[in-house]
Amino acid sequence: MNDAAHTHHGRELISFRIGAQEFCVDIMAVREIRGWTAATALPQSPSYVRGVINLRGAVLPIVDLPNRLGYGVSEPTARHVIIVAQIGTQFVGLLVDAVSDILTVTDDMIQPVPDIAPEAVKAFVQGLIAMDGRMISLIGLGRILPDVVQEAA
Amino acid sequence: MDPMEAIKQTFFQECEEQLAELEQGLLAIEGGETDSETVNAVFRAVHSIKGGAGAFGLEDLVRFAHVFETTLDHVRAGRLAPEADLLKVMLRAADVLADLVRAARDGGVVDEARCEVLRAELGAFSGEDETGDGDDGMGELDFQPLSFEPISFEPMAFEPTAIEADPFEPIGSELAFAPELAAADGRTTWIIHFRPHASLYAHANESALLLRELGRMGEVETTLDDSTLPPLADMEPEGAYLAWTVRLTTERDLDAIRGAFEWVEDDCDLKIEREGGAAEVASVQGPDPIELILAKALASAPAPTMEAPPPIPQIAEPAPLDVAALIRKAQAAEEPVLAPANAVPAPAAAHPATANAANATATTATIRVDLDRVDRLIDLVGELVINQAMLAQRVTESGLGRSSGVVTGLDELEHLTREIQDSVMAIRAQPVKSVFQRMPRLAREVAAMTGKSVRLVTEGEGCEVDKTVIERLSDPLTHMIRNAIDHGLERPDKRIAAGKSGEGVVRLSAAHRSGRIVIEVSDDGAGINRPRVKDIAIEKGLIAPDAVLSDEEIDNLIFLPGFSTASEVSDISGRGVGMDVVKRSIQALGGRISVASRPGLGSTFTLSLPLTLAVLDGMVVSAGSQTLVVPLTAIIETLQPKAAEVHPIGEGAHVISIRGGYVPLIDVGLALGYSDEAVEPAKGVALLIEGEGGARAALMVGAIQGQRQVVIKSLEANYRQVFGIAAATILGDGRVALILDIDALVAGQKGLESPAPVLRTAAIG
Repeated sequence: MNDAAHTHHGRELISFRIGAQEFCVDIMAVREIRGWTAATALPQSPSYVRGVINLRGAVLPIVDLPNRLGYGVSEPTARHVIIVAQIGTQFVGLLVDAVSDILTVTDDMIQPVPDIAPEAVKAFVQGLIAMDGRMISLIGLGRILPDVVQEAA
Repeated sequence: MDPMEAIKQTFFQECEEQLAELEQGLLAIEGGETDSETVNAVFRAVHSIKGGAGAFGLEDLVRFAHVFETTLDHVRAGRLAPEADLLKVMLRAADVLADLVRAARDGGVVDEARCEVLRAELGAFSGEDETGDGDDGMGELDFQPLSFEPISFEPMAFEPTAIEADPFEPIGSELAFAPELAAADGRTTWIIHFRPHASLYAHANESALLLRELGRMGEVETTLDDSTLPPLADMEPEGAYLAWTVRLTTERDLDAIRGAFEWVEDDCDLKIEREGGAAEVASVQGPDPIELILAKALASAPAPTMEAPPPIPQIAEPAPLDVAALIRKAQAAEEPVLAPANAVPAPAAAHPATANAANATATTATIRVDLDRVDRLIDLVGELVINQAMLAQRVTESGLGRSSGVVTGLDELEHLTREIQDSVMAIRAQPVKSVFQRMPRLAREVAAMTGKSVRLVTEGEGCEVDKTVIERLSDPLTHMIRNAIDHGLERPDKRIAAGKSGEGVVRLSAAHRSGRIVIEVSDDGAGINRPRVKDIAIEKGLIAPDAVLSDEEIDNLIFLPGFSTASEVSDISGRGVGMDVVKRSIQALGGRISVASRPGLGSTFTLSLPLTLAVLDGMVVSAGSQTLVVPLTAIIETLQPKAAEVHPIGEGAHVISIRGGYVPLIDVGLALGYSDEAVEPAKGVALLIEGEGGARAALMVGAIQGQRQVVIKSLEANYRQVFGIAAATILGDGRVALILDIDALVAGQKGLESPAPVLRTAAIG
């Protein structure tokens, strides 16, 4: 919590680590944060969909966020964290290494993503935030889940 | 919501119920149930709609309902026989009435010409006055004031006397002996004292019509009693100040006269007596004055103001005073006060009509509950079931002995949970009637459009199934009935040429079968034209030109996407969407559809659906490292295959021989990508399953863990549909287990529906 006084001027973001990199998502989209539990694998799913877990009676899909962003498949341990986020009407769990901070930023602090970034990054990173010498990528959740089934197979 | 609006909503809801009752009643009459109870129910339905519509000033509706009611009244009074012609008109009138109600609710417009035609037709049946009324608005004049201004003491209140009553007729001395004369010619003279309360008008009833009704029964002589009429200045605009004394000479009995007042009994003082003596008295004050006075004194309870039983002969020959009996009667008399919905339960009152009425009231003891509340309850119970299972598993793991109190308590908890679950599910269960009853109208309309003659027979409407299933059943059924009439049945001339009755029969039936509901739509038409179906399938590239297909396979071609046999695109069916859409929506419900057809004799479509979408009995199995649930209904048997029984057939595919027959063998772990290698036959278990249309296959799994009832959880809610998986559930250890979609697995393997991609991805996955 750097500048709690700025709360009502900007937006609050929750930042987390994937390897050595820092990312963040809008705190309004985050419902809860919980520890890793083994997921039930889904057949015929992309590699970044780890499967589903039981979230108090609801079936929650788990997205391996590092893998979704183009890194290798995670090997989750008990220290890994699931961020439960709401995307539209759906809830989804995002597997990340660790949650680090809550940031308050104003819109002018968010810089555009340079063109040279790889496609996988450009698809999900909405902007970059420079803070205390660190670079934090702001993730847009809209496209995290695989696209709706193209055809009824 | 504005309170008036809320009341209006309730009125429309009730209208829907009344309309359903109306149609059902008319169909029952058409089917030969012409007893007075059915006719009355029909009359009551139209009457209630009219009454409510009047209160809300829905003029069109009132006008139409009135003409309808008049015709029905003639039927009720036995002046019109419920012939087939009349019933056809009345059924169509019921459709128009339904349209009018909906138009009033949703603000649409109803084809005025159609109303007019039916009004005229109905008028023609009811004869005399109504034909005139319907055309020139006379009826409205006569009628409007009563519904919109429940009382109007103006000319109209006097009208009945002016119109209906015979001119004064001197009371001859011989009439004083009416009872004796009555015996001679079967006619009796009754004196009816009728004093309406203001509530009678407020309920949109009208004295004039009641008096007119009496006038139709025989000779009447009506005297107006305006003695309580106050000076104009003191007059309440909505008050009721007039009373009538009617002297009626008729061959009809007391019940018939009372019948005229059936709807208003609670809203008036009514006294009917035989002229020249009190031998038969029926008044709303109670069955037997002397006993009642005593009853009152003994029980100090108010007198019942309900249905009076038929005359009790005891008065004629004074019975000895038996105090004990009187106390019993007093207690009996008390009951109607406590439960005013029931008729007086005295033995004398047990004549059939009253008994039926009482039954009818008893069965309608329902409450309206917001569906969200029920769903919330069901969700919670689902959680409870899972929680209970988890608790049970923890207790087992903790190693407590079977005899410990905890385990016994847990068993009881399990029973209770199961019972709660069943009861909650029962709340959502509804008879399929609510869908079935929409179909007769559809059949009539489609028949009219196609120029075919159809009789729709429905059976098993009482079968109950979850509300969600019912709601999602409506579209597929609509489509199937349309198809059955449009494609299935032949034109009347062709039928007759084929030696069948000109009228086609479409049968819609429902039945419970092994934990599922089976719905059949069958027609007695020409059956599926197989050569033509095959030609079309070849033409559309759905099958190879040289494909050799069994009859069953050809029949099933109609379920393929993009298949439509209608050579001309008709209004009714053949909009490019066909049986494939029906099939998909049925599958989405966890159901199966199949067709059986016999040339010249017709086709039968069979739907098999789960009773609820909330729970399922499943077999828990393991495949690869995963735990899966296989719906128990699909499993025929489980077997331990021997290596020698499994034979490879082509690349990567196997069959297993079971008692001499070969059945495709599907390795579940492999098909879903849970393992890279097939289970060795001798180490696994094979589940022999039957998919839609009776197709059999064997599913190879690692092991069987057990059977249990599981709560179905949607995967789509937070994710999307997954191949081979119907839904998910949560097991006792709190982990998610997936429920297999047997039909998709089998179809995927067969390569008929979604051929190559499935197999390929299955290999990659």
